[in-house]
Amino acid sequence: MSSVKKKVIIIGGGTGGAMLANRLPRDEFEVTIIDRQPYNYFWPWLLYIAFRGSRRPIKREIRSVLKHWVNFIQSDVRVINLKDKYVELESGKRLDYDYVVIATGATVDYSRVPGLDKVTEMYGNYHSNEENAWRVWQTLNSMREGTLAVILAPGAYRCPPSPLEGTFLAEEFFRRRGLRDKVRIVFATFYPRPYPAEPINELIEPLLKERGIDYITFYTLDHIDPEKRVAYSMEGEELKFDAAIVIPPHVGVDIKYVPDDVLDSDRFVQADKFTNMIKGFDDAFVIGDASALPVAKTGVTAHLQADVVARILQGEDAHNTGRTNCPFDVGYGLGTFVISDFNNSTIKYPINRINHLFKVAFAAAYWDIILYPELWDSIFEAYFEATEPAKLRYLYR
Amino acid sequence: MVMSQGNKILVDARGIACPGPITEVVKAYRNAKNGDVIEIWATDPGFEPDIKAWIQRTGNQLLDLRKEPDKIVAVIRVTAKK
Ligand SMILES: Cc1cc2nc3c(=O)[nH]c(=O)nc-3n(C[C@H](O)[C@H](O)[C@H](O)COP(=O)(O)OP(=O)(O)OC[C@H]3O[C@@H](n4cnc5c(N)ncnc54)[C@H](O)[C@@H]3O)c2cc1C
Repeated sequence: MSSVKKKVIIIGGGTGGAMLANRLPRDEFEVTIIDRQPYNYFWPWLLYIAFRGSRRPIKREIRSVLKHWVNFIQSDVRVINLKDKYVELESGKRLDYDYVVIATGATVDYSRVPGLDKVTEMYGNYHSNEENAWRVWQTLNSMREGTLAVILAPGAYRCPPSPLEGTFLAEEFFRRRGLRDKVRIVFATFYPRPYPAEPINELIEPLLKERGIDYITFYTLDHIDPEKRVAYSMEGEELKFDAAIVIPPHVGVDIKYVPDDVLDSDRFVQADKFTNMIKGFDDAFVIGDASALPVAKTGVTAHLQADVVARILQGEDAHNTGRTNCPFDVGYGLGTFVISDFNNSTIKYPINRINHLFKVAFAAAYWDIILYPELWDSIFEAYFEATEPAKLRYLYR
Repeated sequence: MVMSQGNKILVDARGIACPGPITEVVKAYRNAKNGDVIEIWATDPGFEPDIKAWIQRTGNQLLDLRKEPDKIVAVIRVTAKK
């Protein structure tokens, strides 16, 4: 047996990339993570900066969440050449690999909605960075009356429940401030119903009504006039607002791929949904938000895919189940989870306090989970088994 | 997956669960012009009521909606873009 270690390059040190790196045994692999910036972000916390003004740290040095034997290079990756098997850094330096894993996440593209860049500058958003999330907090705090619109722009975005989570938390904010009768809250979405999957919508739509939140469905945002404060849909509807928080369209990051037909029209990388293997290559994988797979863009997805790819690299016959498990905060300390997999559509999982506590507990443990997969895996396994959609289906119809 | 040919756009949303197919329709719609025809293939049973509701709400034209053994096919003419 050769003792030469296999070289694995992971591009992106976010949730998926770091989780994968820490799972690969040091005696078999030489692992290098490349990221353009030094931090691992816990993106879900943008929600609590934006709507609660939380000062809890949202980032940690990537280096500090990696096993000490994992190499870390801080650099932008410019080119991924899957044919000739190398990755090119911004300095022009080329690194070759035995396996490459793309974990570059998603980025927002304001240019797809004219006026959106200006509107974001004015009111912020909670899907891009800390600065914009703080702007949302300022927007809420400076509003005394009028209409707050939360608009889901057409296209991909991170975390399916997040647009409604923000809407519910905004409602709670204004109620606690005693301003609820002066501020109208309206949620606009391009989907046929407030939450796209019907079973969860059966819980959510009545709650929106109960809390007096207006909503508009089939509203495909086309452009926004920041001066007139009107958002126009492709269907010709006009939505007037005093402040607007828009969930921007997301696309894949700007890296040159060879061949470039592994990308879809939104620059997401196409792959096999069971193995995450990139179309046409058995030594290249994509995990997490960077993929074009028809699965939710969530940290849980990235986590489970990292696990499957780690096992495939070790020669196991591992497969994704398509499992999702997204916590859904509906305000006032209550929550649900969006649970489904490739074989089972979303469960009507009841709203309660425990679900919300799970979300908060996960946030507290996040970096520990990344750094010590060997300690947390069995806990997650037990949790995922207990909440398997095939079982829950009979309990919560 | 979206393929474009002249002013006909084919959207293959087979194997994508709800709400995937309607997301794909909206994606194609975003890039289409009035007069374009969009043909969508889907396997999710929720797609049929969703696309009917979408047509009714947006005022575009449904040219054909049929069930084939392996898929649901909807053909739409874009007429209502502002
Ligand atoms: C408001 C909000 C709420 C959310 N709530 C939840 C939740 O409750 N539960 C949940 O599971 N998920 C949630 N998510 C989604 C979750 O945060 C993402 O799905 C997850 O971070 C995806 O991980 P990733 O590794 O694919 O990408 P990321 O974590 O985004 O990491 C990508 C990394 O790649 C790097 N990179 C990009 N381009 C390059 C390049 N060219 N060269 C070098 N490096 C590069 C980036 O710097 C980054 O560090 C939420 C997201 C948001 C925005």
